[in-house]
Amino acid sequence: MALTIISMASLRSETQIVPVNSPQASSFTTTVQSSLSAVFPSRIKHSLSSILTKFHAGYFRISLSLGGQALLWKTLIGPTHDKSTLRHVVHMFHPTAFLLLWCFALFILSLLSLLYILRCFFYFKMVKAEFLHHVGVNYLFAPWISWLLLLQSAPFVAPKTTSYLVLWWFFAVPVVALDVKIYGHWFTKGKKFLSTVANPTSQISVIGNLVGAQAAASMGWKECAVCLFSLGMVHYLVLLVTLYQRFSGSDRLPAMLRPVFFLFFAAPSVASLAWESITGAFDTASKMLFFLSLFLFTSLVFRPALFKRSMRRFNVAWWAYSFPLTILALASTEYAEEVKGSIAHILMFLLLSLSVLVSLGLTIFTLLNTRMLLPDNDPISGLYHLPIVSP
Amino acid sequence: MDKRENHVSIELQESASAEPVPELLKLITSSEVVDFDSIMPESETSVSSNGHQRKFSISISMPSSPTGATSAGTKNVLDVEYNGKGFNDSSSVKASKPKPKGVQFLSQPMPKGSVFGEAAPNIKKLKDKRFNSFKTWSGKLERQLTNLRGRQQSESESEEESTQNSGREVLPVDRYFDALEGPELETLRASEEIVLPDDKTWPFLLRYPISSFGICLGVSSQAVMWKTLATATSTKFLHISLTVNLILWWISITLVAVVSSIYLTKVVLYFEAVRSEYYHPIRINFFFAPWIALLFLALGVPPSVATTLPVALWYVLMTPFLFLELKIYGQWMSGGQRRLSKVANPTNHLSVVGNFVGALLGASMGLKEGPIFFFAVGLAHYTVLFVTLYQRLPTNETLPKDLHPVFFLFVAAPSVASMAWANIQGSFDYGSRIAYFIALFLYFSLAVRVNFFRGFKFSLAWWAYTFPMTGAAIATMRYSSAVTNVLTQTLSVILSVVATLTVTALLVTTIVHAFVLRDLFPNDIAIAISDRKPKPQNKWFNLLRHGSSDHDIETFLKFTNSESKDIEVALKIPTAEATRV
Repeated sequence: MALTIISMASLRSETQIVPVNSPQASSFTTTVQSSLSAVFPSRIKHSLSSILTKFHAGYFRISLSLGGQALLWKTLIGPTHDKSTLRHVVHMFHPTAFLLLWCFALFILSLLSLLYILRCFFYFKMVKAEFLHHVGVNYLFAPWISWLLLLQSAPFVAPKTTSYLVLWWFFAVPVVALDVKIYGHWFTKGKKFLSTVANPTSQISVIGNLVGAQAAASMGWKECAVCLFSLGMVHYLVLLVTLYQRFSGSDRLPAMLRPVFFLFFAAPSVASLAWESITGAFDTASKMLFFLSLFLFTSLVFRPALFKRSMRRFNVAWWAYSFPLTILALASTEYAEEVKGSIAHILMFLLLSLSVLVSLGLTIFTLLNTRMLLPDNDPISGLYHLPIVSP
Repeated sequence: MDKRENHVSIELQESASAEPVPELLKLITSSEVVDFDSIMPESETSVSSNGHQRKFSISISMPSSPTGATSAGTKNVLDVEYNGKGFNDSSSVKASKPKPKGVQFLSQPMPKGSVFGEAAPNIKKLKDKRFNSFKTWSGKLERQLTNLRGRQQSESESEEESTQNSGREVLPVDRYFDALEGPELETLRASEEIVLPDDKTWPFLLRYPISSFGICLGVSSQAVMWKTLATATSTKFLHISLTVNLILWWISITLVAVVSSIYLTKVVLYFEAVRSEYYHPIRINFFFAPWIALLFLALGVPPSVATTLPVALWYVLMTPFLFLELKIYGQWMSGGQRRLSKVANPTNHLSVVGNFVGALLGASMGLKEGPIFFFAVGLAHYTVLFVTLYQRLPTNETLPKDLHPVFFLFVAAPSVASMAWANIQGSFDYGSRIAYFIALFLYFSLAVRVNFFRGFKFSLAWWAYTFPMTGAAIATMRYSSAVTNVLTQTLSVILSVVATLTVTALLVTTIVHAFVLRDLFPNDIAIAISDRKPKPQNKWFNLLRHGSSDHDIETFLKFTNSESKDIEVALKIPTAEATRV
């Protein structure tokens, strides 16, 4: 099966209509096909290979959102000092319902991880192409972040147990390894300077560090937590300035990926939660980060025209809306617990309902349109197939 | 009067019908026109502000289209007559100076034998029409505000409106960079043209820039400084009375009221000009200035007037500020042509400092969450702006290569931030001290370079650059109240003296410019740039030109909608030259 070649007018540098490695690919795919045919009947093999070629790390947005929702509901039904009626109402969310949610998230994440592992095995070249792409590389953090979120929200794994510890190390080490590779590139590598590759998805690397820090802090490993936190924050500072400057125009981001702009306010929210885990209370620094994220959220919400083009057709990028909203809602919950005012609780209610609505809506929409999830000419997966500047 | 006008119109009709195909260009020298040279003595009484008189003017007839010339020509005259009645509400003379359609200047020949009254109302009306594109709804509002005339007037009005441009379009930010230069983007580049005549003095409101709010900033911050001098523990030894603060505060209230009302009138009457200022990459930041001035007023309220202010006042002041900054910061983040790497300039500090001033006021009122909100937002955006400005990115076109008083705005944000943080935390702790020392360092690094600040053209915006000095002085007083020793006290006195001296010098300069030189409000060129680059032929044409009248002709010539525009320009050169005496 030939690789799909898309030339997108909206792309800046990648508008080259080049048949990518056709003879190589066909021989490669025949090998793949022969190996697969040894295992599965041909029909399943065919659909599986079509799924694997179209699959990419961006699909982990789904698991990110579900993991975020799981963490949100775990916090909401957990013990709290908040005595308001809203919290009380929310507390009535049945633990079984939460368990179902968590299991669903786990199932989806396992499925996606399995698919990605298969893709690594059979289509390693494509994974490599993703790694070399300035947007795709950031989504390689997404699986680890999702696993960390699920670990934190696990109903049966308590934070101070050995299994938690082992799992934490298992998920955090790849994050740090990716950090070293990518941040090092920003620093030193010839063609991959930050000013040329920076785009809103780069904030996912920052989020990865911060989620790791939060998980570590809930384990009691304060030093690890602070280390990851400072790593994340320092790079967040650099990224914030670079992205605000918008040195290279429209960040070399295709219009389809505009929903990732929501990551602008996801990073400060996660930072605020991580700092709260480290210090134990929602202090001024956490408040400041929360306010910054709230401001950026308002500023984006007032600019619907920015997202118009991406809303024309359903694609997996729409899932990028959900995780930031969930994390912001979680941060507002912590804020309301700390401040105890009515405005804070109203804010919490609004953000909570928004995040739940969006996540639910996206889930239903996806389930109804599974076919559209892996389209034949997915513009985003097409991105990774084009020849990119090699390091 | 009416007979004369009718005579004129009939005359024109006749002349038009006598020549079935009118000439594209009809040249009539000023000597042919009666009364033209007698403009000056008659106009002095009525046009006092108009300092320019036309000596050698050439009136050129250019029909709007080759075919529709006759009917259009007469229609124009008819329109003009009726419009003449409306605009000249003061003068009884009905002049029928031809009126341009929007930015088109079609001047009809002024045949002998027709007296068009004083030329002053002509010029005044011509000016009125010319500035139509800057008025609200292209002058519709002004027309409605003056007497509504009869049905014929509305007919002709509707006809003009259909052919008129609907005001100025929004100019992309690149046009501002191409057409203007200078640290405040005020001066026109040599190759550019403006859509309004430069030799005439424009209507006052059109010359009134938003940067006038800088005076409010400067004076209100002085009021705060004198209040702090009188009340801070470390400066109590000076025994400054609170009367100074009281006087300054009342002066600033008056100033704010006056400046705001004038600018509000401009918003109502000349909305397009305000829009032009809004899209100017430097002037946009001055839209934050009124709110900052109000915040300073609230901060500097004398204890004799009010000891505690209602909390609702803070919300009332900060809400419009919040909306404005949502818009501007959103532009930085996502606004394509107005992204920060392109438009960053020191005046952007005005948009960031307001956050800290609001936080300072809120914290001094006892609020907790609101000040932290604005402090956080201000801090994040200040970091971004600071780094961008320090980088001096090559894509940045607005950053002045040399020093200019605008650089003093660098000192504003850290000094106000230090005070705000001190109020939020309750004491002048390490965070405040770090911010304060940064402000002090920036102040000194600019102060030792004061020699480089010479030789700049004075503008009202300079008042805005004094408030950072005042802010630094206030922060020093706060710091010396926390760390009291001789050094800090001396420093606070010195900085206050410097700030006061600067403001006094600026006051004197302003008065000199206002009353002696009378150029406090020069023609605001920055808002009147054209929406496209002038053609090279015009440039060459312009180079040959010296003198005001030629510029008028140039301006006239440019704004026709005839397709043969370039031919006309090319043809005009020799003939115009020939007619010059």
